[in-house]
Amino acid sequence: MSTSVKDRLITVKNNISKKAHIVVKTEICDTRCPHQCTTYVCPAKCFEIIESKMRFQYEDCIECGTCLHACDQGAVSWTFPDSGHGVSFKLG
Amino acid sequence: MQDSDKFDCIIVGGGVAGLSAAYVLAKANLKILLVERGDWTGAKNVSGGVLWGPTAFDIFPALLNDFSADCPYERVITNRRLSFMSETSATTFDFKTDNFYKKPYNGISVLRSRFDKWLGQQVEEAIAESDFAEDSLVATGILVDRLLLEDNKVVGIGAGEDTFSSDCVIIAEGVNSLLTRAVGLQTGFVEAELVGTGIKEVWQFDQDMLEAKFQLEGDKGMSNEFVGCTQGVEGGAFLYTNKDTISLGMVLGLAALREHKKAPYDLLDSFKQHPAIRPILKHGKMVEYSAHVVPVGDIRLVPKKLYMSGAMVVGDAAGLLLNTGKAIEGMNMAMESGRQAAYTVIDAKKRQDYSESFLKSYQERLAETFVLKDMIRFQGAVKFIHNPAMFDRYPLFVNTILERAFTVDGKPKKKMTEILPEIIKEQNLSYWELLSTAVKGGLNL
Repeated sequence: MSTSVKDRLITVKNNISKKAHIVVKTEICDTRCPHQCTTYVCPAKCFEIIESKMRFQYEDCIECGTCLHACDQGAVSWTFPDSGHGVSFKLG
Repeated sequence: MQDSDKFDCIIVGGGVAGLSAAYVLAKANLKILLVERGDWTGAKNVSGGVLWGPTAFDIFPALLNDFSADCPYERVITNRRLSFMSETSATTFDFKTDNFYKKPYNGISVLRSRFDKWLGQQVEEAIAESDFAEDSLVATGILVDRLLLEDNKVVGIGAGEDTFSSDCVIIAEGVNSLLTRAVGLQTGFVEAELVGTGIKEVWQFDQDMLEAKFQLEGDKGMSNEFVGCTQGVEGGAFLYTNKDTISLGMVLGLAALREHKKAPYDLLDSFKQHPAIRPILKHGKMVEYSAHVVPVGDIRLVPKKLYMSGAMVVGDAAGLLLNTGKAIEGMNMAMESGRQAAYTVIDAKKRQDYSESFLKSYQERLAETFVLKDMIRFQGAVKFIHNPAMFDRYPLFVNTILERAFTVDGKPKKKMTEILPEIIKEQNLSYWELLSTAVKGGLNL
């Protein structure tokens, strides 16, 4: 019954924009963030540590706003996807 | 831009707050523009979600109709359950009454993509019947990226290269309130401790099976909240019955999640493995995952000023939410704030006064409704519920008492007067702590 985040995200319709709506200054995460909490609080697992470096991808983002509030280091620049892009929930 | 293009009011956001405001304004014959970034009103919207109380029915009387098909809401909540969980056990209070099956209903379960789409249709119908059938509109698929300011007065909105002007703007953009923050009504950075992260899975079942599982009759439904299932993280879980689906999820304090180093989906996975939940999901299919930040009901999230010259803030953007431990009220508060902002616009138009000093009356109106009255009155409940013991030690205590009391093991039995002190000692609780918690609970909830 444990479901991977990838399997969960398959259920959400997403018209991904070519332009990233969230930009992360990963050097802040890598050099002075004491918790790197986005790697576990993001419900879509958009933040991952790969080879001890923070990696962020916006493509799986479901626009929840968690990282906007969880990052207290000023690394996350957060906006909504451009008009006509991003997720559409059929149930919501 | 010509003056004839100017709207009386632009509403940013097609959630329940913005749609309530737009409906009231269209009914009052004002020229309005509602702008929603999703492909339809509801496409981006997520909630638990039970909509409590009469506000929705009051604003949208068509909700009182008897729907044979295409009902905009899911079920009428007549069964309330509250469960206290430990890792292995669950203790549930179960309340059921047909007294909640009288219109306007006490609570209805909703799936926002469907519900808000229907509200949007109501707004469009109201527009079609108004004098501005050709001029007013609900515009979807458009992201408002800025408010237009002139001399510290909001005079319209911008969306990419397009601009639209209006006498005032109702900001109903939701909890990720970028516009509210940009104009300085909300602080530039909102602390994690003032918000939670909600995550949810919708599970689909054969409708007869779902009704049998939860002993549901007709369109009656059940709502169940859970505490003690979050591995000590501030928050809880919920299970709401919809027509042929259930909404199963959690709301977790974001600062607590950060501190406990827990992933929300891992907590949800372990909740789904609990013996009280696992059998419910049998024969079901997970059909949609969603997540959204929510206000946690702390008054510090509510901007001191909900208005400025030419603009007002409503709903989640204004941080409006009440959590008394008895119900989590967000959508009804959003709708009431949308309605009060709309009333203020109607008055402002009569006086042709959209100044800050007049729009202040929106906040004064809101202070007279249950929205701000309850939020202020129940701030003690917010603190009470945030006591870390609520999320592990107290639910464990309740379950241990019952497990001992119900155990039949062939040994001579202990009386309750022996069982209780034994557990209190084992779990490092004190009579004083339990008594003071009970008294605080009584005073604050």
